[in-house]
Amino acid sequence: MGSLNHKTPLWIWGLVLAAAIALPLFLHARDMDFYVSMLSRMMIYGIAACSLNLILGYGGLVSFGHAAFVGIGAYTVGILITEGFTNGWAGFAIAMGLSALAAAIIGAISLRTRGVYFIMITLAFAQMIYYLVNSIKAYGGDEGLSIKQRSDFGFGLDLKNDVTFYFLVLFVLVLTLVLISRIMHSRFGRVIQAIRDDDVRVDAIGFASYRYKWVLFVIAGTLGGLAGALMVNHQNYVSPNLMHWTQSGILMVMVILGGVGTLTGGLWGALVLLILEDVLAEYTLHWQFYVGWFLLAVVLLAPKGLAGLFRRQAASVTTGGAA
Amino acid sequence: MTGILLLEQALNGLQFGLMLFLLASGLTLVFGIMDMINLAHGALYMVGAFLTAWLVQLTQSFWLGVVLAVMLTAVVGMLLEATLLRTLYARDHLSQVLATFALILIINESVRMIWGSDLALSMPQALSGPVELLPGLRYPSYRLVIIAVGLVIALMLYLLVTQTRMGAWVRAGASNREMAMAMGINIRRLFTGVFGIGAALCAVAGAMLGPLLAVQVGMGENILILAFVVIVIGGIGSVWGAFVGAILVGFVDTLGRTLLPLLFREIFSPQFASAAGPAVASIAVYLLMAVVLFVRPQGLFSGR
Amino acid sequence: MSSALLQVKDLVKNFGALRATDHVTLDVLPGEVHALIGPNGAGKTSLVAQLSGHLLSDSGQIVFEGQDVTALPTHERVHRGLARSFQITRLFKSFTVLDNVALSVQARSGNSFSFWRPVRSEKALTDAAMVVLQELGLQDRAHDPASELSHGEQRILELGLAVATQPKLLLLDEPMAGAGPVESERILYLIQKLRAQVAILLIEHDMDAVFRLADRISVLVNGAVIATGTPEAIRHNPQVIAAYLGEEHA
Repeated sequence: MGSLNHKTPLWIWGLVLAAAIALPLFLHARDMDFYVSMLSRMMIYGIAACSLNLILGYGGLVSFGHAAFVGIGAYTVGILITEGFTNGWAGFAIAMGLSALAAAIIGAISLRTRGVYFIMITLAFAQMIYYLVNSIKAYGGDEGLSIKQRSDFGFGLDLKNDVTFYFLVLFVLVLTLVLISRIMHSRFGRVIQAIRDDDVRVDAIGFASYRYKWVLFVIAGTLGGLAGALMVNHQNYVSPNLMHWTQSGILMVMVILGGVGTLTGGLWGALVLLILEDVLAEYTLHWQFYVGWFLLAVVLLAPKGLAGLFRRQAASVTTGGAA
Repeated sequence: MTGILLLEQALNGLQFGLMLFLLASGLTLVFGIMDMINLAHGALYMVGAFLTAWLVQLTQSFWLGVVLAVMLTAVVGMLLEATLLRTLYARDHLSQVLATFALILIINESVRMIWGSDLALSMPQALSGPVELLPGLRYPSYRLVIIAVGLVIALMLYLLVTQTRMGAWVRAGASNREMAMAMGINIRRLFTGVFGIGAALCAVAGAMLGPLLAVQVGMGENILILAFVVIVIGGIGSVWGAFVGAILVGFVDTLGRTLLPLLFREIFSPQFASAAGPAVASIAVYLLMAVVLFVRPQGLFSGR
Repeated sequence: MSSALLQVKDLVKNFGALRATDHVTLDVLPGEVHALIGPNGAGKTSLVAQLSGHLLSDSGQIVFEGQDVTALPTHERVHRGLARSFQITRLFKSFTVLDNVALSVQARSGNSFSFWRPVRSEKALTDAAMVVLQELGLQDRAHDPASELSHGEQRILELGLAVATQPKLLLLDEPMAGAGPVESERILYLIQKLRAQVAILLIEHDMDAVFRLADRISVLVNGAVIATGTPEAIRHNPQVIAAYLGEEHA
């Protein structure tokens, strides 16, 4: 059962959460709001990566078009704000709704294929959406769309404040992790993990595996859209490049890096990759070179990702191989 | 007037398709025989283009530069295979994605560190003018040469795969790797060889297209996607499928980009047409792939 | 023959030029053990695949409990009581032995589009699964990963997954394939215990097992049924002997 047998004690979660709450306050006190903003960005990517991990890690479905859902979420909120609809609740809800719809359609078609064909068809859909959005000149086309203000959630919350925005993102991140954890420990989650092992057998014991895959795909797409809604707020900008296949690739890299099929794998992968990028970019223009070597080292030396490295320390049930 | 335009675009489509074939054939063999997803295939295309630009400058001869660049890229490809890629054959697809993605970053930046973000490459002087194929149809002679090169290589590949012993081994390996190994075929050397040839083909495409498309870092990523689309349409593991798929994609993409906006302007309002035309043209290839997969899920010529 | 649990009528399946299933007609009565024997390549697994819904027939009919299920998807057939075990073991390797069976139990009890409640809290599932494991003799291995079982134990678990769906008819595809003598005995014992409550269509190569267990035997050669009858009748059937059994079993 892989990572789900490995119970991280609750007090460790509590500690991490406390640190996550204290950190921005600490940084703000030292007038380092820039770093708070950086952390927000990393957490947003973490949410996106965790949403991909649902289908990629737990479901075993290698979708190469996940960035499309992030982009749909981002553009929905971006366009709404541009047109004057700044209500955050409505905006985020619509963004998630549209991502869900897109996932429902793309999933319905793609999930009829298997293996590399599934990879290619998800990629194709993502590219289609990329090109379509690229051609909408009214909302920036290939130059992207800038927004003048962030979503308004009421209650006097000013999202332009880096610390406030950080807490919004943290809240969403925690919610996402709790949701994913509950899903994977539920009856539904069991079926999904069985599908990853052998979907033919799952049908043979009485589950319509296609339906379960489809529902999972829609959930993942919805969460991706949520990440996108946060992203456009964070950057005050969105461009079609967000949906380019290389972005999907980066999300996949984050998931694989952190550990496929683990609850927080996507988050750690996002954090490590982005921190690495930012740190290296300080020292050299060619930081991608070093990131490349790092990733290569991870593939060769840590086959189960970074999570696998730490898991080897802890005593746990031997698994039959997750990824 | 439009007849000439059509013919010209058709030739462009053929030219692009043939170059896509060079990329796709190597990719489909690697995928078909070694069952490996190689995202870095486009990077080899870029390396070939950069090496060509550099060597052309050095030797002051276009064709000498091309030949040397192709050979060098083949060596680079084989070294890559023998050191890193070989360890990935046994790994799952995800690990291959991660590793070859990392490779793209490394290769892209290495090229940037050596030569900068782009390098100038111009077509040989002698070929810079047009040729009158038909009355009223003047076509760039360089593009004709590309078509010729593409067809010659396609023929050579066909002969290699069907008439030589190596080709037989490749076909055997593509349909059943274990059986091929059991029959004593030296799989390791075969793989290295196949990879080297794939890299060389990428380099030819990069060299030929360089003068037309601009030699710059990142040129591999865009064409890689089309190469994957080609092999999915053609059927993974099938060189003939890669040929048919590439020509199809070349035509649909090129003709789509010129004809669809024109068509849209005839049918729809100018505002809608100017936005929708290019959009649909860009996704035409993906729609083609979706249709093919719907009708024949394994691709047109899959051996499996 | 309207009392038959399963009726296969004139089933045909072609793979290109190869006729894998050639107008097969047979039936399975409630509570009987009906063995399906034949040389390798006769099309036994293809037939079972069509009966379970993993393969779509070209023509013909499959009637289960009086209902036409020919075009029904696999999971629907399982819900109606038609379950299958596989010749090549298909288990959930990353699950424990207990969780493997629990999943089968889960499939027949309630809605699995449930996202919030932890499945571990459902004692009913694990209790029912434990009962099955005890029947299988695998209760001591309950918490081991399925991947750590020996091949023979995996074959037993393979059978257990199908049994746990509480079927009315079991399609068993060479359940003892690759199992050692101890596990094979166990499987035979299990089949003996199941008969009368569950009808069984059994593909097997082990002739001793077949003649011990079967109420009736159908012989499949080149995709077609050449004979159906009691073990004694089959044993002495000249066509069957010529095509399959050979002189030693006469």
